[in-house]
Amino acid sequence: MKKLGILAGVAGLAVSTMLLASGARSADDAKLEQLKQQGFARVAIANEPPYTAVAADGKVSGAAPDVAREIFKRLGVNDIVASISEYGAMIPGLQAGRFDVVTAGLFMKPERCAAVAYSEPVLCDAEAMLVKKGNPKGFKSYEDIAKESSATVGAPGGGTEEKLALNAGVPRDRVIVVPDGQSGLKMVQDGRIDAYSLPVLSINDLMKKANDPNLEVIAPVQGAPVYCDGAAFKKGDEALRDAYDVELAKMKKSGEFAKIIEPYGFSAKAAMSTTREKLCAAK
Amino acid sequence: MDWDWNFVWEIMPTLIQGVKITILATILGSILAAIVGLGIALARRSENRLVARSIGWFAEFIRGTPLLVQLYFIFYVLPDIGILLPPLVAGVIGLGLHYGTYTAEVYRAGIDNVPRGQWEAAKACNLNGRHTWTHIILPQAIPPMIPALANYFIAMFKETPLLSAITVLELMNQAKSVANTYYRYIEPMTLVGAFFLVISLCSVVLLRWLEHRYGRIER
Repeated sequence: MKKLGILAGVAGLAVSTMLLASGARSADDAKLEQLKQQGFARVAIANEPPYTAVAADGKVSGAAPDVAREIFKRLGVNDIVASISEYGAMIPGLQAGRFDVVTAGLFMKPERCAAVAYSEPVLCDAEAMLVKKGNPKGFKSYEDIAKESSATVGAPGGGTEEKLALNAGVPRDRVIVVPDGQSGLKMVQDGRIDAYSLPVLSINDLMKKANDPNLEVIAPVQGAPVYCDGAAFKKGDEALRDAYDVELAKMKKSGEFAKIIEPYGFSAKAAMSTTREKLCAAK
Repeated sequence: MDWDWNFVWEIMPTLIQGVKITILATILGSILAAIVGLGIALARRSENRLVARSIGWFAEFIRGTPLLVQLYFIFYVLPDIGILLPPLVAGVIGLGLHYGTYTAEVYRAGIDNVPRGQWEAAKACNLNGRHTWTHIILPQAIPPMIPALANYFIAMFKETPLLSAITVLELMNQAKSVANTYYRYIEPMTLVGAFFLVISLCSVVLLRWLEHRYGRIER
């Protein structure tokens, strides 16, 4: 009887170990299963064309959500539901479970890589500045703004440009946090800020819509690196991220990836010539 | 949900910068509201029906629209007609105008509370309009309304985070920018709440004292 008990104990241990192992596996896939079941994934966007855009009728487009929609479809999740967020609020929102993934042109940088699980690169772009016609203060880089003691620069709060400007030595009180693209454009027009900085394609899109001959774009900003974004998942959702990467790689290979992003002006080659590993290690 | 005291001390100087702007905006806004309110209250009692009506309508209009909308209007729309105000000035004007329409009601109640006999006595003493107001009516009307006015100023203080929408770097905006940089909301937002609570509680003590000192109407 005693022997039997030990035997049962050992068997029980083995079974529970097996259960534990399979339990861990299914926990990994659970996120995708859950998304499949609810039929949609919640994504965070910024309404900054051409990265992310919301049409007047509420339809979500832009290069980043379009790529995400296609990949999720291939993973068996039929649709994406987008909510507009500030850049700075995206990572905390992701961590708080408000979104499943951020697809908003959130450029990969080491400190962000430490906070979220990025997919492989999706959209790459350099930085640009919007200034008054003729560039009256002669800006070429963020350092130029730092040197000019009265110059102010607008940038999205928590965005890459805000940090680039601060790192270049522009004091905090001269880096104005601008809520959205339209406000930034208006503030340059009104002379509230001397320059408004966003990625090249976003600034070009703003310029096209504003159609204001008194403005000028400086692109690319000297000394600012080319950045790439990726879909950002919550830490712990690496299994979903890996599944996403597999589909992304397939699409990159088949040329469908280029077909989605190139009409928006992004270069598929730029995204394919680099990796998450490189971008996350870059200083 | 882990609270990090080191992070708290690290961000404290930044937030204190914000507190200063918040307090500055509240004080300037209160002064403006006190003046605007008195102006509106007096204008509504004007003999001239046109002035009384149009000011009355203006006050209703301001009171009937959200402060946030007014701030956007002052900051983003006025430049189109050539009025370009710095963010803090735009914010103070927004707060001052908005709360001025509320304080106007306090003034009105205070003035209406001065017994009719006082007006008649002033007339009997052959005082002109200006003297009646400055020497007879306002000195009796203002002390009892000080607690009510102070109440509105505390309310205004708690509305200053709205100024972050027009790029004023006050407490809320500083906290947001800290959160944006470190991807942490718990400490900055808790501290914002704590700052507001501490300052409000101190103001309440002051308010009690004001009530004690001026609340009684001595006749």
